[in-house]
Amino acid sequence: MANHVGRLYALAVALVVFFGTWAVIAAQPWVTAKPDPHLATLAARERQLQRESVAVRRLVAQRWAVYRVELRKRQAQISAAHQTQPVVAAAAPSVRVVTLPPLTVTRTS
Amino acid sequence: MVRHAFRAMGTEIELFVDADDAAGAVAAAEAEFHRLEALLSRFRADSELSQLNRAGALDAGPDLLRVTQLALRARTETGGRFDPTVHDAVVAAGYDRTFESLPPDGPAGAPQACGGDVRVERRRIELDDGVHLDLGGIGKGYAVDRAAEILATAGPCLVNAGGDIAVRGGAWPIAVETSEGSLTLELSSGALATSGRDRRRWQRGGRELHHLIDPGTGAPADGDLVRATVVAPDAVTAEVWAKALFLAGGEAGAVEADARRLPSVLVSLDGSTRLAGGLQ
Repeated sequence: MANHVGRLYALAVALVVFFGTWAVIAAQPWVTAKPDPHLATLAARERQLQRESVAVRRLVAQRWAVYRVELRKRQAQISAAHQTQPVVAAAAPSVRVVTLPPLTVTRTS
Repeated sequence: MVRHAFRAMGTEIELFVDADDAAGAVAAAEAEFHRLEALLSRFRADSELSQLNRAGALDAGPDLLRVTQLALRARTETGGRFDPTVHDAVVAAGYDRTFESLPPDGPAGAPQACGGDVRVERRRIELDDGVHLDLGGIGKGYAVDRAAEILATAGPCLVNAGGDIAVRGGAWPIAVETSEGSLTLELSSGALATSGRDRRRWQRGGRELHHLIDPGTGAPADGDLVRATVVAPDAVTAEVWAKALFLAGGEAGAVEADARRLPSVLVSLDGSTRLAGGLQ
């Protein structure tokens, strides 16, 4: 009776060892996993698209900025055309060139 | 005559008052500079301007609100040559900390687009996504005007903040640098300011850069002027138009100064100096 039980245990252990070994060999851990060429292509494409999207966004921002500057110039021209006298002229400060020694100096601020 | 000098807003400030007892007014004028610097500096993380730039929207105090409104009006009047949204372009050019602490050289940044939308409604200021304000081109003029008002309570006065000058009463001889040396302007009312590429310069990527950004290119301006000095009724207007005429260039700047009757001194890279806007 004890021999039968022992044999059964031995058989079970042998089976476990056999399938375990089989699984390890089937997994081929000594072989370096090759990257999937499809995944590599997709990753490269994604990087390229990201670069292109950054460039496009920058271009759009630059063109938008140029447009806004041009728009403001035009608005300023229209606003100036509607004024008979420049605003600044009405309150012109008093200034003249003299040959006195200066008290202070104006420089690039 | 009382003269008092101190440093604020990254520059030397001079206060002159033609009065015997002006200590109170002088102290108040100096305090006003420090107060406005604390509110409007982009280099101070706790300034109201930095809070606005971080949050993108803010219920602003009266000074930030007023300066922002003045800057937006100047943007319209100058056709976009003066633009408070140059912040990111200035930072990209390397001017990302106080001028005194800038490294002499470093990697070059790409030009940044300017011209984003800024909305002001009552006390609320709202910036478009990615838009940040730099009020350095107008804040000093605003402070000069405020300080001159305070100082004028003591007597005829002059306030000079690194070249942005306002006077109240009296007649004040002020030197303007030209290519030949200097000429002296006597200013008895109003203000004058100078903008140019001859100071606040640094290098990035081995290239020399300066702080005057052309909003059209998002990079330091590359015109034919070294500097432009403009006389105007107040320092804010003088500062705005000094920059606008500098960006316009010698020829167009002189024509515009004449048309707008802005007395101006335009110093070119070729060594010539033009007087325009009725200045002779």
